[in-house]
Amino acid sequence: MGEISTNSNMDRWTCPNDRQLALRAKLGTGWSVHTNKLASFQRTDHLSMEEQEHIMNVIAKADYLEQVEQERIGRLVEKLENMKKNAMGNGNTQCILCGDEFGLLGANPTRCDDCKNAVCTKCGIDTYNWQKQQLWLCKICSENREVWKRSGAWFFKGIPKYVLPEKKSDHVKFTDQKGQGYSRGSQRGRPVAARPYQGTWGSGRGSIADSNEQESSESSDDEICSMGKHRIGRQGDSESDNISITSSTSGQYYSGHVTKESRSSITSSNYHGGHISATESSRGDEFHDDSDSESATEFSRQGSTRSNKEIPEPIKIKETPDADIDDAFTKYGRNTVNGEDTFDNSPPSSPDSDTSSLGALEFSILYDSVNNALHCTVVRARSLKAMDSNGLSDPYVKLHLLPGASKSNKLRTKTIHKTLNPDWNETLTYYGITEDDMLRKTLRLAVLDEDAFGYDFIGETRVPLKRLKAHQTKHFNVFLEKQLPTEKDDDLLSNDRGKLLLGLRYSTSKQALLVNIIRCANLAACDSNGYSDPYVKLYLKPDRDKKSKFKTAVKKKTLNPEYNEEFIYEIKHNELAKKTLEITVWDRDIGKSNDFVGGVQLGINAKGERLKHWFDTLKNPDHKFERWHILAAELIPEVK
Amino acid sequence: MASANDSKWQKDAADQNFDYMFKLLIIGNSSVGKTSFLFRYADDSFTSAFVSTVGIDFKVKTVFRQDKRVKLQIWDTAGQERYRTITTAYYRGAMGFILMYDVTNEESFNAVMDWCTQIKTYSWDNAQVVLVGNKCDLEDERVVSTERGKQLADQLGLEFFETSAKENINVKAVFERLVDIICDKMSESLDSDPTLINSQTKGTRLTENANTQQGGCQC
Repeated sequence: MGEISTNSNMDRWTCPNDRQLALRAKLGTGWSVHTNKLASFQRTDHLSMEEQEHIMNVIAKADYLEQVEQERIGRLVEKLENMKKNAMGNGNTQCILCGDEFGLLGANPTRCDDCKNAVCTKCGIDTYNWQKQQLWLCKICSENREVWKRSGAWFFKGIPKYVLPEKKSDHVKFTDQKGQGYSRGSQRGRPVAARPYQGTWGSGRGSIADSNEQESSESSDDEICSMGKHRIGRQGDSESDNISITSSTSGQYYSGHVTKESRSSITSSNYHGGHISATESSRGDEFHDDSDSESATEFSRQGSTRSNKEIPEPIKIKETPDADIDDAFTKYGRNTVNGEDTFDNSPPSSPDSDTSSLGALEFSILYDSVNNALHCTVVRARSLKAMDSNGLSDPYVKLHLLPGASKSNKLRTKTIHKTLNPDWNETLTYYGITEDDMLRKTLRLAVLDEDAFGYDFIGETRVPLKRLKAHQTKHFNVFLEKQLPTEKDDDLLSNDRGKLLLGLRYSTSKQALLVNIIRCANLAACDSNGYSDPYVKLYLKPDRDKKSKFKTAVKKKTLNPEYNEEFIYEIKHNELAKKTLEITVWDRDIGKSNDFVGGVQLGINAKGERLKHWFDTLKNPDHKFERWHILAAELIPEVK
Repeated sequence: MASANDSKWQKDAADQNFDYMFKLLIIGNSSVGKTSFLFRYADDSFTSAFVSTVGIDFKVKTVFRQDKRVKLQIWDTAGQERYRTITTAYYRGAMGFILMYDVTNEESFNAVMDWCTQIKTYSWDNAQVVLVGNKCDLEDERVVSTERGKQLADQLGLEFFETSAKENINVKAVFERLVDIICDKMSESLDSDPTLINSQTKGTRLTENANTQQGGCQC
């Protein structure tokens, strides 16, 4: 790969290439560009699938090394602990180690230079420090120094995370005075300890390494913390099932030394709303300043099931707020499609008495049918509800064209900090909006309060575009409404990537999961001929050595390929419950990277149909279950 | 990844026959020769074909220095800006940095200050840095003199080497020097502040045990 001159310059924006434009043109939802804020497009340098895969491979390798290292440190720590346990004396009248009494007839007491305890000559070590001064250390302190050197603690100013050797698995979990929990019951049943030092390899401001280190229960804990409402429900779902692979673990959460404990499932399928994508870092969408921390979440991937990793900086466990908005939007999108559009009944201009306290939003919309452009000028908001403790908010407006969940139809204004009466005066423009779109689409304007850890929802309003007349600017000054409640139903994916008919059966005689890729339908077209050359990839995760990877044949030039291919995973039933089946559909391209069409994940952390399908399969061995699954557009398959 | 490679690297990774583990990071502008430098050191191979590093990569090598076996995990980073979020994430764990420029490329030399700032921003504060001017075999194309390199290194308080991955000049020396510096730093940090160990471990299970068992411990 040569030096691609990517846009490192903040204020340049390159037009997407023809291929991208061609693809965008096919998007039913249209696509959009900030007209007055092209800077947000600075990060067009997506990582390609190959690059992501490569990086993930490296991370997996590093992970492995890290694990081995943690075990090594664990052994060092254990040895030291044993020494301390075996210390017999009181360190004053007796040798701290062997317990020999000092006195007239006994040995000469010497004080250890580090711990100041009395040590006999047999149990002490005569050594030198780096300035060649003599140093007298008891064996424990000497060993302690050695541990500090060998573990790297000297560098990070604290013992790094470690995993104690297996035999000690019955250690009780205990909490020290600072309140850090030592967690027991990682999947291997090993005690796991970590200190709040932040110098693990790859930690720091949002590293891919440690975000992928946040595994298993810890990550779910923390994500729950940061996500709040949405995740807990999901977590609950997965626990409520009979598959008894949950275990009590404690995750360390280093915000003010709070130990969070929760029951959580041991499998670490932390796929949340598709925001695991590495390409996400290229979105200038939501967190311009926090690209690092964002990348942390992005790279978090399903991986091993050990919970021995700490989270160096709690801020990193931020879920991209878009996920929720997406959810809400998609949900709404489906409602409108189903003819449940309630907004015709309540004109946006009529204040809702319940919600008038949320504030008012002034904006105007102009549809330019010649250029197929929809301009929305967000003028100002007044008397917004205060969301922050300082009695103010940091409001911005997010636009979304419904129905549709694609990122390409989201726009946002800049954030005006610390005000309840923001003036934006920003024009955001959607391109490629056809008259047909104008008839069936709705523009949603959501006022959000930007937070360091995400956002708060203040209020929203929606304008069915069919109210607009072309080339006539329509002004609105409306009271904001509450967020439309998202239903419990969790199938929040839009159907624009196509769907997949999947047959699953667990065969008890073969001790294997039989995965039948039957067909796909209505796949998104990825090639300029309006078709794709789709093939399906399967992966049973977590799986370190990638043995679980399978591929179907490539079906040429079709959006409705039929495969009827069966794949066999030989796996014990109880093992299977801990796995996640990831199925992705790809468009085979020759000479360039294959395009990701869509994907679906089945596992105990899945939701809705996917979860049900998975459970049905697990609970009813030797029964074949065939279900259609809607492909998610944003699922980036994770590479181990 | 080839499975042969896999098994070799797994063996490297699993090798527990060492005393210390140091994590090193090679940074510098794109195409200054970071990857070549690492390949020369770790595999003793060289190719002049330029393949831009994707994000990050690392190699593991164990060296014997000062009577100790030191396992090095050497991270090779992409110089390209587009990977910056990924690469900077790895600064935090690095004990040592090899900051590299290309003696035939003025721009890469001018960027050294920026890289230093990156280190200061993202790394652990006692990380050790060595400045390296690579491609010193290309005397004809040289635009950055040794003196200027040395001067800048002095100014930044760094040790300085000119190297050639191609001709295998000073490659090993750089790593060995960096390992030595880190080793020195290690002894120094423990000895100069022995209270660090005790005060820091207080509250962990290490001294929790110690406290209960040793009773009269004053530390």
